[in-house]
Amino acid sequence: MDVNVRIHEELKKNCGVRLAATLPDDWVAPLIRRMAADPDVRHVPVAREAEAIAICSGAFFGGVRSVAVIGATGLLTCTGEMATLNLRHQIPVFCVVSMRGSIDDQRIYQEVQGRRTIPLLQTYDFLYHVFDRPEDLASMPDAYETCRLQKRPFIAFLTRRLVKGEQA
Amino acid sequence: MKTSEVMKVLALHRGNAVVVCALGMAANEWWAATRSEDSFYMHGAMGFAASFALGLALALPKVPVWVLNADGSLCMNLGCLLTEAGQAPQNLKHFVLDNGVYQTVGAVPMVNGGSADYVGLARAAGIPRARALDDLGQLERQLPGIVEEPGPTFTVLKVEAETGFLRTPPMTYEGPEMKYRFGRALERRLGITVFGPQGY
Repeated sequence: MDVNVRIHEELKKNCGVRLAATLPDDWVAPLIRRMAADPDVRHVPVAREAEAIAICSGAFFGGVRSVAVIGATGLLTCTGEMATLNLRHQIPVFCVVSMRGSIDDQRIYQEVQGRRTIPLLQTYDFLYHVFDRPEDLASMPDAYETCRLQKRPFIAFLTRRLVKGEQA
Repeated sequence: MKTSEVMKVLALHRGNAVVVCALGMAANEWWAATRSEDSFYMHGAMGFAASFALGLALALPKVPVWVLNADGSLCMNLGCLLTEAGQAPQNLKHFVLDNGVYQTVGAVPMVNGGSADYVGLARAAGIPRARALDDLGQLERQLPGIVEEPGPTFTVLKVEAETGFLRTPPMTYEGPEMKYRFGRALERRLGITVFGPQGY
């Protein structure tokens, strides 16, 4: 099964997601296209990643489960809003994010993301989990529930091997 | 118009709208006028009250949602106008308190000297029902119609800047307590489930 079909299914069927606020990088763009085509999920394309964080936070108070699907560079742009909105008020927000800058992602414009993203999340005490192989995706509902229980941002990282395959 | 007067008029016509306030002046003055617990008062994420309100409006399509934004916050996230226009939620009303200054930090002049045409920006973004009001009588006459028209709508309220720092005190609770008061108020009023069986 295509990995994006599987992620979409886990989010929708097993996490109960009904709203997806998104801004693509090239790794998550196929997943976003799938979710945008799903009539059961409200798709909200945004102009900046922090919008996605705030939209998901508002949806939480409407009783709707949501996800922000963004790239690693976009994640770096919105950690301040995650701290002053989600940490401050203990509002869970679940983010699916490309894990850029890994050793198999040799793009010069991703090198800082590769070195500094995890330490930054640890500094903020944001939760994260790395999804590296298709079989890991069965843990997505547990990650989603942990996000709600811990009442803070949770980053579900998708590795290059997961989204591009072993041979890419 | 004075902001406190505007808030009293808005409160009078609020009906059953759920209100989201930008941090600082908008939040403090709405609290002073209403003591409303089914309103969310941003304490951070400046610029993103409008996005928070959009998420709430999309989650509760049958419930009127108002965002009480401010010019400083709007300028920090002008892209919210594009996203609002793209989603076109019929239940969302966007108000902007425009006093031309960053009031909370001591009435420091706004970027671009406060001369930006926010109504023009909203229309250009795809929100045709946009207007600016600068007179209290005009607001009292037009607000019932604004409340009734389908969203998204965008209303700039031209208010006087105060001199110096904001003197209106903030709401008397914050952080997680605000989350639970707001969420529980919506659960009671709307019969929805925000928190799970174990309270989170």
